[in-house]
Amino acid sequence: MDEHDFTVLNRLTFGARPDERARFLEVGLKPWIEEQLDIQSIDDLDCSLRLAPFRSLEMEANELEAISNQLFENYDRESLPAELRLASLIRQVYSRRQLYEVMVGFWNDHLNIFTEKGNCFYLKTVDDRRVVRTHALGSFRELILASAHSPAMLVYLDNHVNHKGAPNENYARELMELHTLGVNGGYSQADVMELARCLTGWTVKDHFWLGDFEFNADLHDPGVKYVLGMEISDSGINEAEQVIDTLSTHPSTARFISSKLAWRFIADDPPEELIQKGARAFLDTEGDIKSVLRVILLDGVDFVQPKYKRPSDFVISALRMLHAQTDGRGPDESLRGMGQSLFGCPTPDGYPDNSAAWQGNLMPRWNFAFRLVRGEIEGTQIDMEHLLAYVPDDDLTVRFDALATLLLGVPIAEPFRSGLMELITSGGTNEEEMLQILAAGILVSPSFQWK
Amino acid sequence: MVTPGTSERTAARLLRRPLEKPWMPRLAFAPPNIAPRGDTLVVIFLRGAADGLNMVVPHGERAYYRLRPTLGIPPPDDTKTKPEERTIDLDGFFGFHPSFQPLLDAWHDGSLAVIHACGGPDESRSHFKAMELMERGVADERGPASGWIGRHLASLDTGNSSPLRAVAMGTRTQRSLSGSVPVSALRSIADFHLGGNQHLLDQMRSTLDLLYEGDDLGKDTLSIMNTMQSMDPMIYKPAHSALYPETELGMALKQTAMLIKAEVGLEVSAIDVGGWDTHFAQGSTTGQMPNLIEELALGLSAFYADMHEHMDSLIVVSMSEFGRRVSENGSLGTDHGHGSMMMLMGGNVAGGRIHGQWPGLDEGQRIGPGDLAVTTDYRDVLSEVCVKRLNNPVVSEIFPEYQPRMLNVVRK
Repeated sequence: MDEHDFTVLNRLTFGARPDERARFLEVGLKPWIEEQLDIQSIDDLDCSLRLAPFRSLEMEANELEAISNQLFENYDRESLPAELRLASLIRQVYSRRQLYEVMVGFWNDHLNIFTEKGNCFYLKTVDDRRVVRTHALGSFRELILASAHSPAMLVYLDNHVNHKGAPNENYARELMELHTLGVNGGYSQADVMELARCLTGWTVKDHFWLGDFEFNADLHDPGVKYVLGMEISDSGINEAEQVIDTLSTHPSTARFISSKLAWRFIADDPPEELIQKGARAFLDTEGDIKSVLRVILLDGVDFVQPKYKRPSDFVISALRMLHAQTDGRGPDESLRGMGQSLFGCPTPDGYPDNSAAWQGNLMPRWNFAFRLVRGEIEGTQIDMEHLLAYVPDDDLTVRFDALATLLLGVPIAEPFRSGLMELITSGGTNEEEMLQILAAGILVSPSFQWK
Repeated sequence: MVTPGTSERTAARLLRRPLEKPWMPRLAFAPPNIAPRGDTLVVIFLRGAADGLNMVVPHGERAYYRLRPTLGIPPPDDTKTKPEERTIDLDGFFGFHPSFQPLLDAWHDGSLAVIHACGGPDESRSHFKAMELMERGVADERGPASGWIGRHLASLDTGNSSPLRAVAMGTRTQRSLSGSVPVSALRSIADFHLGGNQHLLDQMRSTLDLLYEGDDLGKDTLSIMNTMQSMDPMIYKPAHSALYPETELGMALKQTAMLIKAEVGLEVSAIDVGGWDTHFAQGSTTGQMPNLIEELALGLSAFYADMHEHMDSLIVVSMSEFGRRVSENGSLGTDHGHGSMMMLMGGNVAGGRIHGQWPGLDEGQRIGPGDLAVTTDYRDVLSEVCVKRLNNPVVSEIFPEYQPRMLNVVRK
């Protein structure tokens, strides 16, 4: 597999494993993408079994509230977000639906929700399932509509307290700025205020089916509104739905989403031509996410530029490529230290997706690599003997090359290859420790920080 | 999977590729000025648009109390409220939020100044756009992509090649720091201690030495690792019994103090404090925002005490992307506004004064949907700091296409 294919495959996955590389080489890029887009056709039993202990994933809001409500409204605000983080990590590592998981990560950034804000600690579990996972490869309009009806989003961006006579424009603004049109997408402060009026009364039930969405007509600001030059007649819940229809099929939105996908999969500052092609596919299909993705991926492969791994890319790719067994706990803790705890981004723009933002902090990566190969990451093991079972065990260089090929796609380059071998063999450690240092050496290398 | 010939070439490219970083923005700079370094700059960015009006309260404005019936901070002479919940008067018109009480020492020493109705020209009221423009130090999308602090450092050769010349406190690097000078991100000094048994540790360090030969960022990290090995914030004893609050800000300021005292070449420390986007249940004298104000005050006052002997060569700046709407919203909070407030602390600050021109809060004085107008551009304040305190006269490099006005907020 050449460097380019390896890079491409590492954008489509959280770190390519040998079986994924083999399948990619066998069928080629386009059929591989089609296989991945047809998620129901991919058997994911191993991952499902690992998720079985996480009972909260399928619960409704009122059940989630009930299990975290201890005596006297003293809430356990830690357990549910932790379960959601661990389940997400396990899916990223073990799911065979890798492109889907990458897209779930993309939308969780795009529609960021911080689980420490108010009741998001239990509401996000429902949002992850009903909004992001349901629509990750579906229709963009459905995705945004579901998000607007998501209690977690309404709480996170304060719309649950956006009432007639007491407007709160937080969600209305971010819905246009961050979720659809983009900051230069052609809306004004007046549009924000008028959309906020349309959204008055979009709130969350506080008893009977507590935690579910509710449109409370009594809290809705009546009368005609004007958003983006459109006259929105007085029609209750339909007003904001009508605006969302317009927003989610707007040319500015098409461009914004296309551009963000190209940043994620292709390159920082992707070529204008590609953004336009993706935007056109978006408009032609009224926001069919798969169709836009096909264009970005197939037309974009020639423009792929190296991207610096975000902390989660770094951690998950190390775990995947070394076939680690993990229950997620230790990696979750490490990600917190690297500044990318899942669902832990306080600001609604989500974690940054550009190489420059993450390059200042190598040390926690070095710590993670060192502890991972030493078996010191909680709940996480690597079986080096099993990993190298088919590699002759009488020649350390061959084993080193095999390790490098797993992690970097190819053996490590000279003079680093012989330099490292010499350094490690002269150190007087036993063979197990030598392999550990070699594996850690590859994980800490500059190459492994890029994908 | 590949033939040996191509694999070797590919591997060589793979390893070299991250070292070259040709896709990183490169900026052409005028030849740097050569000058001895000035003060150590500490920039505290209050993320989320801090409500300057409730931090430094215009208690002389009747409109303030009319527009903030529940959120307004009671005036200093309001006998209906407890004294500890009233505005602390500073000059008969403005006063501190009661939670700013710990800052009074610095204020009375003349080491703390406020610039009110301050901000940038952008009126998008978007956090992300306003922060980006402010950290880049530009008026709109055009202009350099790097940050104003990055350009300050790149345009001034102080003969300091320390990897700790600029430090981003936290895990991510602030946009303001981006430029051609390497920046170190530092969450905790303790993160720079590699654990494990000594023998393996030595091998690991040699491995890192080998791999990062020729990579500036990696070499810098290794050298920081060596510097930090003996430093531990848990056993650090601040001077004058200063007590840092156990918050991220407290930790960041304490570590800034440690790095300054260790004389490792620190010129800039950039610190973020989040949580200021108070659309909902902001709190007037107790609650969400008062807690943030208190945290800020306790952090700054601890730093002020601990760094007492260093104040003459220190300048602390606090800023935020914009302010909040003058009238409170329906959820006991405030929506995005425009004009904000900056603070300066240091031995050469024209302190104990509120600077800037007050635009007023009445109808016709407010702008847009009812926001405090900006009468002082944040770049005026920062330019003066750069010129007078950081020894960098090339303001045109730092804030391109901007003609700053000097307000005499600091002394030469």
